[in-house]
Amino acid sequence: MSTTKTTTTATKKDTRLIEALNLSLADTYALMSLTHLAHWNVEGPDFFPLHKAFQEQYETLFEAVDEIAERVRALDAYAIGGLGTLAKTAGLEEFKSPLTQKDYVAALIVAHEKVVDDNLRTRDLAGGGGDLQTQDLLIKRIQWHEKTLWMLKSYLKG
Amino acid sequence: MTVSAPAPICQPEPICTAERCQWRCALDVIDELLRQPGAVTGAEMDQLLDLRWQLGQATAAEVALRLFCTLRIGMERRHYLAFFRIRRWLENHLVSVCRSADGTVVQEVPVRLDHYCVEAVRRVCLCTALSQPGGAAGTRIGFEFVNWPTGRRAVREVVAALAV
Repeated sequence: MSTTKTTTTATKKDTRLIEALNLSLADTYALMSLTHLAHWNVEGPDFFPLHKAFQEQYETLFEAVDEIAERVRALDAYAIGGLGTLAKTAGLEEFKSPLTQKDYVAALIVAHEKVVDDNLRTRDLAGGGGDLQTQDLLIKRIQWHEKTLWMLKSYLKG
Repeated sequence: MTVSAPAPICQPEPICTAERCQWRCALDVIDELLRQPGAVTGAEMDQLLDLRWQLGQATAAEVALRLFCTLRIGMERRHYLAFFRIRRWLENHLVSVCRSADGTVVQEVPVRLDHYCVEAVRRVCLCTALSQPGGAAGTRIGFEFVNWPTGRRAVREVVAALAV
């Protein structure tokens, strides 16, 4: 028990982890916004399946945003917020809408890849600091992004 | 004997940062295509190597763009994501330059590669240039590299200049 307490206290002081978690939060929020944009504006023969798939994705991302932000609060830190701050922190390039169906999917793939890269760093920081709860959260997030990447990439194969 | 790895041709830092261009480096994408067994034909491989050389040199944007368009027509259906990455990278590293008859630069506009043919891309760029203040003096339009470690200006500066 004493080990757990020590680990938690150490993690709470780890500003690098907090910054990384806030980056994951910003990434997830920005990706949710891009996916929502794709959901609204996608056009073409595959409108219905893409519209539905993008909706499922941004809804999942919305839940993830909450989970990550609450993890930041559980570590006695504050979650960043506000559209400008989140967009600037994430640094995801906005879509030059309107795009073709395939370009929406390709652009989302690139955005997911960036989120996975950042989440991997956050996961490793958490693991290095012995914060298994945060590490677990990031592992779940990475798994979901990788699964989504597989689906999006499958769509582009033709 | 120690053999050190050759320096990569593409050294995007510090001008080409992730904030400016997060699309994977075009040379890496080409290398990945070349590494995949059976992904490209012999003729495509030759052209991909030519494109790789042109992008590595970054001196003949027109030639690079022409090669890209030729390859895109033939390969995009099979390798959509790879060509999306190269296309976006080119959009972040190319600018179209509109010049007057005496060679003076009268307008610069970002390049959008929504078309599959260089002349169609040029036409769109020319229309954009002519619609800008002062653009009417332009008579011909070409392409140049930007955001390159040789100190070319960033595409974002071109966009900002257009917005004024």
